[in-house]
Amino acid sequence: MGMTATEKILARASRRDRVRPGDIVFPKPDLVIVHDGLVVSSKAELDGVGIDRVFDTDRIYFVTDHDVVYTSPRAVERGTQIRKIVKEWGIKHFFDVGQGGHGHIFPIQSGVVTPGTFYFDNDRHCTNAGGIGAVGFRVGTEIATVLATGTVWTKVPPTIRLTLKGKVKPGVFGRDVGFRIVQDLARRGIDLDYRVLELAGDLEQFDLGERIALCSSPTEMRAIGVFIPPSERILAEAKARAKRPFEPVFSDADAEYELDLTLDVSEIEPQVVLTGGVERGVDIAAKAGTSINHAFIGSCASGMYEDLVAAAKILRGRRVAPGVRLFVVPGSELNTKRMQTDGLMQVFVEAGAMVMPAGCGICSSGKMGPVHSGEVSISTAADNVVGRFGAKDAELFLASPATVAASAVTGVVTDPRDFQVFRSGEAA
Amino acid sequence: MSAFQWKLAGRCHKFGHDIPHPGPVIPKHLIAGRYMDPKDLVPHLFSELRPGFPDKCKPGDIIVTGRNFGMGPKMNGYIAMQALGLGLMTETMPFLAYRAALGVGLRVLDTCPGILNLVEDGDEIECDFSTGAFANRTRKIQKTFDPIPEALRELVSLGGTSGFLRQWWEANRPRETAAARA
Repeated sequence: MGMTATEKILARASRRDRVRPGDIVFPKPDLVIVHDGLVVSSKAELDGVGIDRVFDTDRIYFVTDHDVVYTSPRAVERGTQIRKIVKEWGIKHFFDVGQGGHGHIFPIQSGVVTPGTFYFDNDRHCTNAGGIGAVGFRVGTEIATVLATGTVWTKVPPTIRLTLKGKVKPGVFGRDVGFRIVQDLARRGIDLDYRVLELAGDLEQFDLGERIALCSSPTEMRAIGVFIPPSERILAEAKARAKRPFEPVFSDADAEYELDLTLDVSEIEPQVVLTGGVERGVDIAAKAGTSINHAFIGSCASGMYEDLVAAAKILRGRRVAPGVRLFVVPGSELNTKRMQTDGLMQVFVEAGAMVMPAGCGICSSGKMGPVHSGEVSISTAADNVVGRFGAKDAELFLASPATVAASAVTGVVTDPRDFQVFRSGEAA
Repeated sequence: MSAFQWKLAGRCHKFGHDIPHPGPVIPKHLIAGRYMDPKDLVPHLFSELRPGFPDKCKPGDIIVTGRNFGMGPKMNGYIAMQALGLGLMTETMPFLAYRAALGVGLRVLDTCPGILNLVEDGDEIECDFSTGAFANRTRKIQKTFDPIPEALRELVSLGGTSGFLRQWWEANRPRETAAARA
């Protein structure tokens, strides 16, 4: 019996010929990523034991994405502490405020996370790695153990394969497909807890931005990983950016899956996810026309350059509706720079959107740009549990970047197809 | 490691299905406030579901639950269980909850299918967490579940992550550092 791609990557990192679901392994990561929320507590934990060093100053990346503009005195103090810790430990890859951006986006865009990479991260959204054919495993506060020892116990997860069939309609994006996937899995009572969801089938149609978006919603349903086998196009892009040589990894033809499912994507409509969880998606017709107050494009789920392009296609030459505030949060500083050279920045500014520093943006607990009681928000946030970014009685709809942009322009939930916007790569 | 007590014997504290960690296991404000000291947590263990629970249990007792116990990745409730000397057996628990429980050194079996049918609250039960051997002495039932995996027994026997790190550092601390400190 063969192995899935995730099993192969875990086996390689664990210096084993093969691993099987349920095995406990101690993988040696190619890199470790820690965000601004866990650096100080990890340091305190290791100080408490007397550990005064990290396992490898060159393989550790400290990123700043959860509170990049320091929205509280405590955050300012934390920033100071982080910079001190970076010096004490000699961390070589430190991305301070205003540098790098979202830790689940810029490492992919800058060729640090490449196809086949295995890494540990404190945050669950490291599943984004699957969008480029890599594996990132979330270990929460046990990232401190990884920082000290270079590994932590890891249970090899089972994999569920989902074959996507057909071509999505124009105006329907990877994010919509992701919403629909989890809606279907929830309806069928399929639990993703600590499973890898591997996608197969007609994947060629999804660019890197959409692949990242596809990784998001299953993660909110507790998947430990989403794996999308990289296409020729993705591999060529990755090769152009890669900081070091890489070897893409694919599942064996006789790999074992816990479940083998299919989904016809050709019938999917643009989705609007109702407040309370990513699996609560409905076709946009059910909510079209609902007034909105708050709109946000960004987050680990939809902060890739491709997402910004999709939104800009609608916003170009148009204005955000009166009474609506639109926040645009590029996933990375690379995106911000490119927006300036490509003219996208001008499109957003002239539309009346507020372009914010790269990072998690509003999705990080609404530290910036929260919603008020009774308001209706439509956004590309990773999640929309009650109170995720502001008042507990606010509506938090989720949708694709195109749907959010279209809604911001009209002031009501709007089908992006009303603006004749097609998928990236296709004629508008 | 041989001195570690893998077998617990005591009363069964039976709970149902789908009990989330924030709230029912331990009050939300203690999680949000990042309380990690057992003395702050123990008095509030299961306070929403069974007021006075900590006074009704003794070391060796085992909490037995149904499916999906302890939703959420936090460890506060398990710190309280560990401080009280309790064990935990669930029909299922989300992986991150299991990981959090092991991280504080709790003796826990997360996959005990059908165990709710084998016990009633107050039964005298025992479990060897290193072999999975379970017995309900009140009802004369014996069954074997999957034990704590061998690769994780060191972590548990050392009292969880902090004990594990302490031992690791003892073994891996560079010599010159040790000499400099001496």
